[in-house]
Amino acid sequence: MDQYPDENEEFELQYQDELELLEDLPDEFNAYDGPSTSKQAAAKQKENRAPPPALKDISRLGNSTLCSPQLSQITFGSSQLIGEDEGDGTSTGGLVNRRLFGTPKGPPVGRGCSTPFQRMPAIAELENTQLTSRGFGLEKENPAANQLQEVGLKNVNKRRLERDLFGDIDDLFHESYEDPMVKKARTEEQRDHEAINRILELRRKMRESSKTLRKDDVSRLKALHDFKMRNLSYEIPNWPFLAIQRSDLERIYVRFHSEEYEQRQLELISARGEVAGSLLGEAKVKIWQEAGEIVLSRAAAAEDPDVTLVNSNSNSEIGRLWVDKYKPRKYIDLLSDEMTNRSLLYWLKMWDKVVFGKAFHSKREQEAVTGEGGTAGGAGNQLNSFNKRTGKFESNGGWRQRKSRQALNTNVDALGRPMQKVALLCGPPGLGKTTLAHTIARHAGYNVREINASDDRSPEAFKLALENGTQMSSVLNEDKRPNCIVLDEIDGAPRQSIDYLVKFISDAVYSKVKAKGAKAEHNVLKRPIICICNDVYDPALRPLRQVAFVVSFPPIDAARLAERLVKIAYKEQLKTDFGSLIALAEKSGNDVRSCISSMQFFNAQKHSLTLQDVLNNNLGQKDRHQGLFAVWDAIFRIQRPRKTLQTDANKVDEPAQVTMTNTSVTTRVRNVLEVVHSSGDFERLTQGVYENYLQQKMPDPNFTGVCEALKWFCFTDSLQHQISRQQNYSVYPYLQYGFVVWHLLFATLAWPKIAFPTRGFEFQQKSTNQRNIFQAICKGVTTSALGVGQGRTLLLDTVPLLKRILSPQLRSVAVQLLSPKEQQDLRHTIEVMVDLGLTFVQVKSQEGHYVFQTEPDLDALSAFPGYTGLSLPYFSRQLIAREVDLERIRRAAPKGGAPSAAAAKTKPSGAAAQLPNHLQILKPKPISVSNMHSAPKQQLTKDFFGRITHKTTATNSAEESKTDAIVKSPIWYRYKEGFNNAVRKDVHIHELL
Amino acid sequence: MSLWVDKYRPRELSKLDFHKEQAENLRNLCKQSDFPHLMFYGPSGAGKKTRIMCLLREMYGSGVERLRSETMTFTTPSNRKVEVMTVSSNYHLEVNPSDAGMYDRTVVIDLIKQVAQTHQIEISGQREFKVIVISEGDELTKDAQHALRRTMEKYVATCRIIISVNSTSRIIPAIRSRCLGIRVAAPNETEIVSILQNTCKREGLALPVELAKRLVDKSERNLRRALLMLEAAKVAKAPFTANQEIPDLDWQVFLRETASQIISEQTPVKLEKIRERLYELLIQGVPPNLIFRGLVEQLVSNCDMSIKAKTLEFATEYEHRMQSGAKHIFHLEAFVAQFMNIYKKFLSELVMTDDF
Repeated sequence: MDQYPDENEEFELQYQDELELLEDLPDEFNAYDGPSTSKQAAAKQKENRAPPPALKDISRLGNSTLCSPQLSQITFGSSQLIGEDEGDGTSTGGLVNRRLFGTPKGPPVGRGCSTPFQRMPAIAELENTQLTSRGFGLEKENPAANQLQEVGLKNVNKRRLERDLFGDIDDLFHESYEDPMVKKARTEEQRDHEAINRILELRRKMRESSKTLRKDDVSRLKALHDFKMRNLSYEIPNWPFLAIQRSDLERIYVRFHSEEYEQRQLELISARGEVAGSLLGEAKVKIWQEAGEIVLSRAAAAEDPDVTLVNSNSNSEIGRLWVDKYKPRKYIDLLSDEMTNRSLLYWLKMWDKVVFGKAFHSKREQEAVTGEGGTAGGAGNQLNSFNKRTGKFESNGGWRQRKSRQALNTNVDALGRPMQKVALLCGPPGLGKTTLAHTIARHAGYNVREINASDDRSPEAFKLALENGTQMSSVLNEDKRPNCIVLDEIDGAPRQSIDYLVKFISDAVYSKVKAKGAKAEHNVLKRPIICICNDVYDPALRPLRQVAFVVSFPPIDAARLAERLVKIAYKEQLKTDFGSLIALAEKSGNDVRSCISSMQFFNAQKHSLTLQDVLNNNLGQKDRHQGLFAVWDAIFRIQRPRKTLQTDANKVDEPAQVTMTNTSVTTRVRNVLEVVHSSGDFERLTQGVYENYLQQKMPDPNFTGVCEALKWFCFTDSLQHQISRQQNYSVYPYLQYGFVVWHLLFATLAWPKIAFPTRGFEFQQKSTNQRNIFQAICKGVTTSALGVGQGRTLLLDTVPLLKRILSPQLRSVAVQLLSPKEQQDLRHTIEVMVDLGLTFVQVKSQEGHYVFQTEPDLDALSAFPGYTGLSLPYFSRQLIAREVDLERIRRAAPKGGAPSAAAAKTKPSGAAAQLPNHLQILKPKPISVSNMHSAPKQQLTKDFFGRITHKTTATNSAEESKTDAIVKSPIWYRYKEGFNNAVRKDVHIHELL
Repeated sequence: MSLWVDKYRPRELSKLDFHKEQAENLRNLCKQSDFPHLMFYGPSGAGKKTRIMCLLREMYGSGVERLRSETMTFTTPSNRKVEVMTVSSNYHLEVNPSDAGMYDRTVVIDLIKQVAQTHQIEISGQREFKVIVISEGDELTKDAQHALRRTMEKYVATCRIIISVNSTSRIIPAIRSRCLGIRVAAPNETEIVSILQNTCKREGLALPVELAKRLVDKSERNLRRALLMLEAAKVAKAPFTANQEIPDLDWQVFLRETASQIISEQTPVKLEKIRERLYELLIQGVPPNLIFRGLVEQLVSNCDMSIKAKTLEFATEYEHRMQSGAKHIFHLEAFVAQFMNIYKKFLSELVMTDDF
């Protein structure tokens, strides 16, 4: 992902304060209020470190008689520190710079210095006065000591060198108070000598006054001085040495000792000291112990983060798994992809506002505030921002805009929480997801609460754990950091639990919206939750996936992993080379855990790890899930001879045989079986082979191979049918042998072109579609058309012919103008369509114009490419559609006495039938006879504009002229219908006569 | 009632056009009091359903012709909803359980048993039992058939079952033995010709005998198909002529073309194209055994005598194997490839013998 290495550095600059946080991490373990800025951290650091120097001071004073054989080193250390002190004014800046350029932070001269406190001078500077006053204050009753202190103070104030001297003293708190000697040995300047002499003198006086000075003390000091002189030199000595430069550009050569020697010397001296007794008696022993403890604890704290690869020499670590031993302890030790780490860290930092009550300032926002203009992007809704280092990062501001984070929504909700409340880490095992989650959470100042598959994850337990984790914090533990819940292996959790989790996340939102009162606070999720899974597409995770910030883990780069492995190998003194480690990484699919475990295994076995071992061994090879394409590739391709077992075993001088063994049938069969077995989805694999095998190059003129292959396809199909129908899994193992046959038949050395099999799926889709259409047609068939058959008969016999039957040739003219034959055809078509429940509907085609389509889509049924279906033009379809609708209505109408009535007349006649009923109520009984006759008369008045009506009116009037009864009838009534008078006209009988 | 198939369908046993003796027997059967379960079997388009409807009318009168169709919904044990269309009158119920696919057992249990259990409401009716007509009975799964056999025995007092099948071979013997089998053979050529001509006469058209005979050939003595073809031909060209084109079934034409393509070229590329065509046929719902049959018929008729036997042998082998599988395309393609194989061998041998 990191395509722009330069930008990486820029980013690093941008995130300098974050990185400083990284630096300060060990201290933050004690800090209660989470992540802090570098200044705060530094202050804390000072506070934390204040007491030990005081103690050291005391011990130093108390043990002045004790001397150390390590003085030589001490001097070296001090000078080095001086250099550093003067070299860069601010130690923090220096540290950061070192970080930036990737040199692992450690003592620059390796093991030369046994006290690994690089920061001491700075601290010494800051604390100097305090230390001295406090430390010396304890011994105030001693005048000599007072004097000594005065001298010291004078020295401190007088010149820088003296201050350094005291810095030096600080550094060597647990050794002895021999520094003046060192000074003497190192410096030639007279003033210093004088000062030191005075100190020595005063000290002697002090000892005399305390009366605990032993007789041989002087001689011991002398011996020590000699010792020191043996170990230091201004010329190039003949013993092993290390050249260092002092602040005054003088070169000093310091003798190297083996560690054993040093140890021995140390023991000797401490033993002697014990024998000698001490100035303060028991108190001194106690202080000595305390100091020792402090040293140890600080050594652990200081060394751990800097040197990731913990020193393996200590005996306690031998039994440990390397995986644990070399686990990344800090953010920058993480091996995983940088972008992934950062985006997760960014997300976690977005919680700061809620969790720690202080705003997290993204760089972008800072920029927006500092008024760079135009860069105020989506993050502008955060309230305040401090611009403590405004000018510093202006140049690399554009970075974020160009490369946006993948799925991270940088907006925050009303409470200042990120929109995505859960981060979901996903990726194959062994990439360090869990490690990342833990490291980042700890780094951001959280206390990690992990719930994994080994815990009870029933919905109830899950609920409890979630609520406890998010709403409470531990009371007993002095570690007051807020919790961050890490739900490991969540894809194995029951669905209900995941549903609850989703509800838990979203519920909080609801309650907040509903009531903004005090009660709302109760449920609000205020802690980040990190979920970890292997398969993000697990069905159970679907709801979570939608709300979560999904971070998918890209595989670790093999080279990067190998680099780390080299480091570990170096630390563990395992003989190996980079190439074999890369091979190991590749073999394990870049699984860090498996690689390290394999290395440990090899280490336990013997003392070297060669390429041969890696390839030879089954170690580190896990049951990896291979992609479908990889499997198909393996089936269609003969593996080229690789560096496999044989290659190395047979040595380089017999290459011919090696190749033979590699492409032999046995090897190929084994290989294919292995690959196919690792994938397992036989059905899809089969389909893929089926759809691709014909594209492969095959020297098969007679189709024998194809036949053979197809026989195996048939066999596979039968087996699969057997399995799925009868759940007979005993035949399952036979499925994989088909692939072997196909491989042997079609595999070539060339790169196979493999397309993803879609045909099978398409086929299913289309079949379903067709079936649905067909079912719709079946449903539409009315009881009067049962002769078309049922099921298959209807589909195969009727439908194709029906298309022809429904394609009458009609001219594009109005219905009235059609010839009698056409009329008849039309009539027939319409009736058939109504019988079968078909009609034409207007739909918009893909090209944009409107077409009439059969509904249900008869045309689509049994439509083969290149065959005409319904050959009706647009006009005919439109005409038929209208007529079909009319016919439908006609059929739906209650069947009256005149079923043969013309289509146009059906409706009016129905209305006419209603009318007499209505009037009958008004009429007196006797006239009911005449009423029957009046009905047609009314009909005639009503159908005023109709063509046929005129005819009927004529006939009716002719009739009525005959029937005198009506004419003579004394009762006349007027008929009124419609909504408007405009179409109404009174017609009197005599007018018509 | 506007398709000629429906319009001129005989409604009474006495008016049936062929197998008149059988019709007489059926009428006699109705007159007797002990009416058995029946199984009508015969090819498609031979008039099984017509005969059944005539029989029902003979038993119950014209009331059976007042049909209503309903869609019934069933819930399978696995909580799936299955819809089945039924056509019923007051006296009978016609159902096609194979609509429900593999859930036809549910239909048999729920619907048929339920109907069989209930007594006829109208006592005054001629019969004390009602009739359930099961169409496409040979599509019933074995499970459904087994579910049916007890029902047939137990509720014989209230219901009779008439099964219409194409072939009895797929009916379990238990059911076969419970039914009186009535074979409805396809009408012969003269019968069809006379029926077609009668129909045309009633429609006011003249049908040349040659055309009628060609229709018989084309329709493979399937009366329904013949009538539909006649009607389609009429739409295409109104006054019939003797050498008029008869519309064909698209899928048959497609299948024929596929077969000729197989003969024309035998390469993997061609095989892939054939596969596409086979897929197309399957998509359109042409059953694989029909595809098999069509292919074999065409291939056998177009190839040399010496490989005919082999082709048939392979066809039977692959079709049989297809029954045990689910992906028909594999088996179809396997057969095609096998044919290509033997055809190519045959061709190369031919070339060699020619050379000598």
